[in-house]
Amino acid sequence: MSASLAPECNEVKERYDNCFLKWYSEKFLRGNATTNECEPLFKQYNQCLMKALKERGIDTMIAEAREDNRENDAEHMRGSCPSSIS
Amino acid sequence: MKFFATSTEFDYSWEEVSAANWQKYGPWNEKTPHVIAVDTLSRTVDPISGILRTERLITCKQSAPQWLNSFLGGQDTSMVYETSYVDPRNKKVTMCSTNMTFSNLLSVRETCVYSPASSNPLGRTKFEQHARITALCGGWQKVKNSIEEFTVERFKQNAVKGKEGFEMVLEMSRRVFAQERELRRLQEARI
Repeated sequence: MSASLAPECNEVKERYDNCFLKWYSEKFLRGNATTNECEPLFKQYNQCLMKALKERGIDTMIAEAREDNRENDAEHMRGSCPSSIS
Repeated sequence: MKFFATSTEFDYSWEEVSAANWQKYGPWNEKTPHVIAVDTLSRTVDPISGILRTERLITCKQSAPQWLNSFLGGQDTSMVYETSYVDPRNKKVTMCSTNMTFSNLLSVRETCVYSPASSNPLGRTKFEQHARITALCGGWQKVKNSIEEFTVERFKQNAVKGKEGFEMVLEMSRRVFAQERELRRLQEARI
């Protein structure tokens, strides 16, 4: 798995990534995604990451990118791409 | 504005490709050292469509030529915001990304889709990549053109390396998966 941009989050990130990958192959792809045992690990990783992003001022950049992406989200959630690209 | 598009096929099932895609920039990939970090910002499953939506932040470090550096302010680290949608019922992975850094200078919007290949839907996967590149800086058209041309060229080079690297990840992933399955079979046989 890849590293985190915040080295202090690497350990919990790796544990989460491994959990997710197992869930993805063994449950999600087999149509059994109702439970998500990786949620507690994700919360830990996310807490660490958000702190690092805030400290570096990246959180505001993400908020902007998210806003730009929002208009297309409804379209994407049906599994297609923004009409401006495809 | 310039466009870049490419498509290729992988000799692996859609399930294998979509799972290995999460490890594309991990240690098994020796071809894309410019991707230095991949962080997951959020992840949800839509209860109605069953689509898995993931937001990621991808950090890259790749040096630019001298002439471009003056526009970039010498910064060689860039960040990409990516939203991906995995539709397990229709077997489709869609990844949409946009640049977060240098966004006052350049807009790069990319879409990648993985779907079963029509030639062999159960064993092969098609990969399609589209990008739209627009230089935004005011001033000379000539400068804008140079920036767009450079970016398209970089896209082409990275696309080749990306495919080579992903082939390595797919091979390793299949090998590890087979080992795990064998190990489980042996453990079950012992019980």
